[in-house]
Amino acid sequence: MNSPYLTYAGKRLAQAAIVILLAYVFTFVVVSILPGDPITSVLRNPQNGFTEEEIAQIVAAQGIDRPVLEQLWSSLSGFLTGDLGLSMRSSRPVTTMIAEVLPSTLILATSALALALVLAVVVAYGTQVLPKRYGQGLLRAFPSLFLSVPNFVIGLLLIHLFGFQLGLFRVINPDSAWATFFAAVTLAIPISAQIAEVLIASLDHEAGQDYIAVARGRGLRQFHLFTRHLLKPSSLPVVTVIALTIGELLGGSLITETVFGRTGIGSLVQRSVSTQDLPVLQAVVSLAAVVFVLANLIADLVYPLLDPRVKLSGTRALRPSASKPAGATSP
Amino acid sequence: MAPHDRLTAAFPRNIATERAAPLLHVENLDVSYGANRVVTDVGFSLGRGRSLALIGESGSGKSTIARTVLRLLPGSACVSGRVSFDGEEILGLSERRFRPLRGRAIGFVPQDPGNALNPVRTIGSQALEAVALTDERDLRIAKERILETFAQVGLDNPQRVFDSYPHQLSGGMLQRVLIGLAVLPRPLLLVADEPTSALDVTIQKRILDLLSRLQQDLDISLLLITHDLAIAAERADSIVVLKDGSVQEVGSTAAVFASPTSLYAKKLHADVPALNPHRYAALRDPGFRRLKDSAPKITVRNLTKTFEVDGRALTAVNDVSFSVPSGTTHALVGESGSGKTTTIRLLLGLEQPDTGEITVAGETITGRTRRSMQTAWRHLQLVYQNPFTSLDPTWTVERLVREPLDRFRIGTPAERAEWVRAALSDVGLGAHLVTRKPQALSGGQRQRVAIARSLVLRPDVIVLDEPTSALDVSVQADIVAVLLELQAKLGLTYVFVSHDLALVRQLAHTVSVMRHGRIVEHGAVSDIFENPGEPYTVALLQSIPSGAAAPVRARAVRPAAQPVFIGAG
Repeated sequence: MNSPYLTYAGKRLAQAAIVILLAYVFTFVVVSILPGDPITSVLRNPQNGFTEEEIAQIVAAQGIDRPVLEQLWSSLSGFLTGDLGLSMRSSRPVTTMIAEVLPSTLILATSALALALVLAVVVAYGTQVLPKRYGQGLLRAFPSLFLSVPNFVIGLLLIHLFGFQLGLFRVINPDSAWATFFAAVTLAIPISAQIAEVLIASLDHEAGQDYIAVARGRGLRQFHLFTRHLLKPSSLPVVTVIALTIGELLGGSLITETVFGRTGIGSLVQRSVSTQDLPVLQAVVSLAAVVFVLANLIADLVYPLLDPRVKLSGTRALRPSASKPAGATSP
Repeated sequence: MAPHDRLTAAFPRNIATERAAPLLHVENLDVSYGANRVVTDVGFSLGRGRSLALIGESGSGKSTIARTVLRLLPGSACVSGRVSFDGEEILGLSERRFRPLRGRAIGFVPQDPGNALNPVRTIGSQALEAVALTDERDLRIAKERILETFAQVGLDNPQRVFDSYPHQLSGGMLQRVLIGLAVLPRPLLLVADEPTSALDVTIQKRILDLLSRLQQDLDISLLLITHDLAIAAERADSIVVLKDGSVQEVGSTAAVFASPTSLYAKKLHADVPALNPHRYAALRDPGFRRLKDSAPKITVRNLTKTFEVDGRALTAVNDVSFSVPSGTTHALVGESGSGKTTTIRLLLGLEQPDTGEITVAGETITGRTRRSMQTAWRHLQLVYQNPFTSLDPTWTVERLVREPLDRFRIGTPAERAEWVRAALSDVGLGAHLVTRKPQALSGGQRQRVAIARSLVLRPDVIVLDEPTSALDVSVQADIVAVLLELQAKLGLTYVFVSHDLALVRQLAHTVSVMRHGRIVEHGAVSDIFENPGEPYTVALLQSIPSGAAAPVRARAVRPAAQPVFIGAG
């Protein structure tokens, strides 16, 4: 790739790093400095039943007694080196705790995203090639239908049908590939509906363009017309949508993990919330911020590669508008 | 490329019918969308190696017919009748049976080359699809054939074109690419849908020359869709004149052109500026007398404007000077990028020049604040190019025309209503239209509203930015007549921006020819058109279609197979 792209990529990368750091500092401020001092209030909460000895131990281990700036510095440098501190409950390193459950969530989320993409593209392809009388309308209704069905309802339905009725996977303590597959399907359906909605609108727009008529006039098969000509230009807005749905993927995996009884970031968050284990929660929030920023960074880096018309200017990728600036009609 | 190359193409053909039957035969063709019938009982025939022009204005159904032949109509279209190609009925064919004909036997050149290639793929990758139609499997040979074709259609650097994306090339180059790709598989029929209407005039001529040359060299039949009678006359053996989806007249070009029989063809003939340079002589003559004795209404001196584009300085207007005597029309002529639009933006005070001075009616325009521009705008109005986008669709005609009066707080409400009616009647619109919205008006009526809107302040100067380029030729003739009548009646001074030299010849008094931001030649219209001094002006003038059947088409070498016409139904 040429140098304007590298400059652009470098600047975007730096921007993303700054955003992640700011997000971390922000969560740190919310958790440790704001009035009420959540950490101390958690420890002093009689419901949690800490003894004075334990409290002293935890305060020392977490370094809560040190000045705030010093805390921030050590916390930040810990974050940069991958040390997220110790859990208030188990006194185990938070990094280890996350590392234990992250793979399971990653597998769930990535397979859900892959499934969502395949599903969205198949549905969108159908809306382009199916004749009206063979259910094109049904396919077009798909996005709004599945956007309006909550995630957990789909999950419960799938568990009932494939878990209890067909016995494809163990419902209690599931670990089979089938269990993962159905959890991923649960997570994928609402996300694929969002992607499909944008993709269908984009395909409809591109399909009306002259270059499609010309390519058809060149004797291309419908399938090649779709894969070679329609898909790439139509996928431009989809890239942005995918980056935005990553956040939803995280939130959705929390619910899905609960519904399917899987261990993962979701169950860790659930446990940490109920025990008010703030260092773990802060780590998960920072992790979510990192994932979200990275997803948007990747989208921004991919975009100019997909669309050669994009002009790179500083940290912005500008798409030239088709219409010229119009002069005023009359002063 | 010898014609026999075509025999190697995969398309099977019956040698016995080679020259006898027409290649394309359309009969009783009806096309409708729901209850809306857009093509009614159309029929014509196109012989092998011949060319036929479908001509008509927007809504005449000419593009629908082309797309019916190409089978590119949307699914909602309902088609009946017969279209046979090379002896085979194609309307009833399944897509699977028709697809082998696409590209191989029937090529397609679209209207807007800027939108006819996939914007996110290289031209080379799309060209390879065209070569695939010839069953060439070897990628190296395929690429060679593409580069050869690009050279053949007059592209200077074929390799660079091959590697480029569409947005990196100009419209003229893209149209050459598209024509090259369409003829590369050696089709029997080429359908060209307004192949030049999105291009600059000098490029139009070159593209049409290229099409004519390829059609002859490769012995391809050409179905040319155009709104321009003069182009049709130059480029086609026979003509089908369409209006509102039905055939008005059909016959050999010479016959239709020399003595049109239908009323519509006659009117069309009279409305084409290129064919009737002196149509408005009577209306325009008073202005010629004013050229000598009127004081200049507009003076532009040493105007320069530089923009920064992608970090490079671009001089859009470079040392431009002209003056316009009161009550006359000055035309700014040039192709896209010549600086004519920037010049009028400077003239209207919408941009400030780097250097130079503009005076209108004795007042200096340049160097004013936005507030003091207000007073200048009372005397200086603009009519914009496209009346389909320049009028707020939610406003009524009355409000649109009255707005300038409201803005400048002129007159009482009763007076304003009176002036609006007067301005509308000046442009020939009835008072019954005042409650309509733009959507309920035709293109010509909309442009009249736009003109009335600029007239209502009684300005001295009206700047006309390609005022007819978005309109059909018959509507264009109406608008030109309105403008000239207003000038004769009110003594208006016009600055007329156009790329259409034939139109300029019809209505302007003086002209400046612009190129790359400079005025290369200026003077009285008659002088410039009769004795052009600059090669660029000569090229522009040559691009006006003469309407005469071009002698380059050596008809003698062709077998004298006349196209068979069936009745117009």
